Amino acid sequence: MSTTYGAQNEVELTDPVSWGVAAPAVGAAFAASAVEVVEAFTVVLAVATLRGWRPAVSGTLVALAALTGLVLVLGPLLDRVPLHPLQLGIGVLLLLFGMGWLRKAVLRAAGVIPVHDEEAAFAAETKHLAAEARRRHASLAWIAGLAAFKAALLEGLEVVFIVIAVGAGRGLLWPAAAGALAACVAVLAVGTVVHRPLSRVPENALKFGVGVMLSAFGVFWTGEGLGVQWPGGDLILFLFAALFLLTGLVTASLLRRPIGETPR
Amino acid sequence: MTLLRDIASELIGMFLADACLTGAVLALVLLVAALTLGLGVPPLIAGGVLLLGCLVILAGVAWREASRQDRV
Repeated sequence: MSTTYGAQNEVELTDPVSWGVAAPAVGAAFAASAVEVVEAFTVVLAVATLRGWRPAVSGTLVALAALTGLVLVLGPLLDRVPLHPLQLGIGVLLLLFGMGWLRKAVLRAAGVIPVHDEEAAFAAETKHLAAEARRRHASLAWIAGLAAFKAALLEGLEVVFIVIAVGAGRGLLWPAAAGALAACVAVLAVGTVVHRPLSRVPENALKFGVGVMLSAFGVFWTGEGLGVQWPGGDLILFLFAALFLLTGLVTASLLRRPIGETPR
Repeated sequence: MTLLRDIASELIGMFLADACLTGAVLALVLLVAALTLGLGVPPLIAGGVLLLGCLVILAGVAWREASRQDRV
């Protein structure tokens, strides 16, 4: 088939079955964005605590503008790539990325590696920023703004990849981007109200879920890129996700360490 | 320059964080491509190999990391 993603896009949007893939795509973008925004918010809050909200918000807005530009540039470029190579390329990247997240989430759930601690990350970032300002004799506002920019940009890169990866193959770029944006707004709204690191967000459970969904998408796209016509079409994604979830949970259960042996 | 280095290391970390996982996934995709495109195996069977292979790799890399942590 020599059709491109652009042509496929029009066909799929009129096909009601394609919305079977919309829910996991939007859900994956929402959950992944929530995890990354929680981590970025910890740094932004450290910046705001140390130097006020102005450099924190400025740095974050510049990073969000850069990330939006990346989506606007890369999204249309993908229209020019033939469908099967696009599916194969994105599928393999999704497998590497999604299974990487899932592996880490399994190891954290089993207590083999420590879970991410937002309170500790906040304390470390505040200390690092103050030390950096002393060392460089530079304006703390500038260093603080740059730190917020860097945190939002680096955490946002993963969200941009996920939005493009789960959205590009079926014309779901904008719904996936909307899912990511909704998570961003929700986390920032909650964070602004509670005004402290969001340490009670079940980060590893979210990462587990995102890893499961991305790995399922990875198998789906890679197979389609190699010419596999999956039975049930998009709906087989749910079976793939269930198998990855089951494998992850069983592996975590088999590897589980007794309480107290988990490294901190 | 530090920012560019950080972006590069973030991108590399996204896909190549665990060399064993990366190597195993790429080898599996090559195997499935060889099955479908080279040996004429029915695509659905090759797809099954891809799915099962990914599940085995996931359990294997997690098991390997846990054993490595035990030795440290």
